[in-house]
Amino acid sequence: MRDALRQKSDFFALIREFFASQGVVEVHTPKLLENPTTDVYIDSLSVEINRGIGLSQMRYLHTSPELEMKKLISSGSGDIYQICTVFRDNEQGEQNTNEFSLLEYYRLDFDMHQLIDDVANLLKKLGFADPIRKISYAQAFLEFADIDILNTDFITLKDIAKKHQLSSDFEWIEDLQIFLFTYLVEPKLAQIPICFVYDYPSGQSALAKVCDGVARRFELYINGVEIANGYDELQTQGDYQTQFEREIKKRQLLKKQATAIDNKFLKHLDNPLPQCSGVAIGLDRMLSQIQKNAL
Amino acid sequence: MANYSTSQFKAGLKLMLDGNPCSIISNEVRKPGKGQASNKVKFKDLITGKTLEKTFKSGESLEGADVMELDMQYLYNDGNEWNFMDPETFDQYAINDSAMDDVRGYMVEQDMCVVTLWNNNPISVTPPNHVILEVVDTDPGLKGDTAGTGGKPATMNTGIVVQVPLFISIGEKVKVDTRTNEYAGRT
Repeated sequence: MRDALRQKSDFFALIREFFASQGVVEVHTPKLLENPTTDVYIDSLSVEINRGIGLSQMRYLHTSPELEMKKLISSGSGDIYQICTVFRDNEQGEQNTNEFSLLEYYRLDFDMHQLIDDVANLLKKLGFADPIRKISYAQAFLEFADIDILNTDFITLKDIAKKHQLSSDFEWIEDLQIFLFTYLVEPKLAQIPICFVYDYPSGQSALAKVCDGVARRFELYINGVEIANGYDELQTQGDYQTQFEREIKKRQLLKKQATAIDNKFLKHLDNPLPQCSGVAIGLDRMLSQIQKNAL
Repeated sequence: MANYSTSQFKAGLKLMLDGNPCSIISNEVRKPGKGQASNKVKFKDLITGKTLEKTFKSGESLEGADVMELDMQYLYNDGNEWNFMDPETFDQYAINDSAMDDVRGYMVEQDMCVVTLWNNNPISVTPPNHVILEVVDTDPGLKGDTAGTGGKPATMNTGIVVQVPLFISIGEKVKVDTRTNEYAGRT
């Protein structure tokens, strides 16, 4: 018991050391938010506060500290990181729980590849000694599933899914791409100790920039387990507004929990974000992979 | 029958899959950071006995299968069909010989079995865990060998062959485990 607590404590201390040595500042942002997340497939937990004192209001536990941290960056915070617990409803399974520890950090002037290199350095600091593989999303699909993912249309992908006894009942091609990645590519990534997958189809851009037809996004897989998700971040108010509206529309079509645009966030972007890249890392999953490697 | 959504999937639930009644063995939920959840489900096809795997987007649904498992007494085999009776209602059910492949050798008249009905038609039979069978052919027993080292094949009155201890001889009744086809003692 004590050993496990000590190991986790040391792990967090190493992370803080890594950032302190580079002058990245630890921050703490609000966790009780006014709006549920707009992310299509993430559900916020709602809590009613202040009922006993007649000031009842609904609040939503943060599912990620992303927007609150970006408010700080737009106000001139510089490089920042945060270690916090996040909460997500309707997530329970072998790899998912309703609350987990997230490390989220942003580096100014970094592009996606610089941030990948920085995460690789963090992994070394935490004791991951394995060689690091970087592979584009398209290459991963080609190599592991023999699919030219950026040039295959929705109908053809549905046929491929059916052939593999997988569901093909999807509203949007990007959802089917993600689904096929989970079942046809991820199992093969289990053979690779550390793998960064980058340059996603533009339909999966989320809050990342799209350049030359691909979203400047990456994910980190350790032994095939999804650990981190990073973006070369969108900068302007207009880009965020467009993306939030797209997500809200999808949520409405899927009859999911209603949400609204965080206008306070958009107001912050009267000053656009500086060029920066950010990443969210699931610390519980990462720690469990360290423990697995140690066995 | 009602439809069941992936959120209701659990081991033992009986559903229709590609026209056959199936029973869920396991249901694993996957949820990527940026995608929707999905369910990887293992089924047993109740007609063929085969294990299948199929993956659904969470929220999809399947039609329930009208499947019942009833305790019934095995009555007799008329050459084409095997006949069972529900001891409560005295209803009799006949099951085709082709559905008896895996269990034919364990059927003993009067034994209580579990009969699986789909739309009130019997589709499979599960014999009791242990049945008493008679040895009709085996090599002669070795005198004085009661330790039962090694073993030898013995043909039972139902036609199946079971590995038995050396001291067992023709005409003896033995207990056989129907799940493993192993000798489980003398009677």
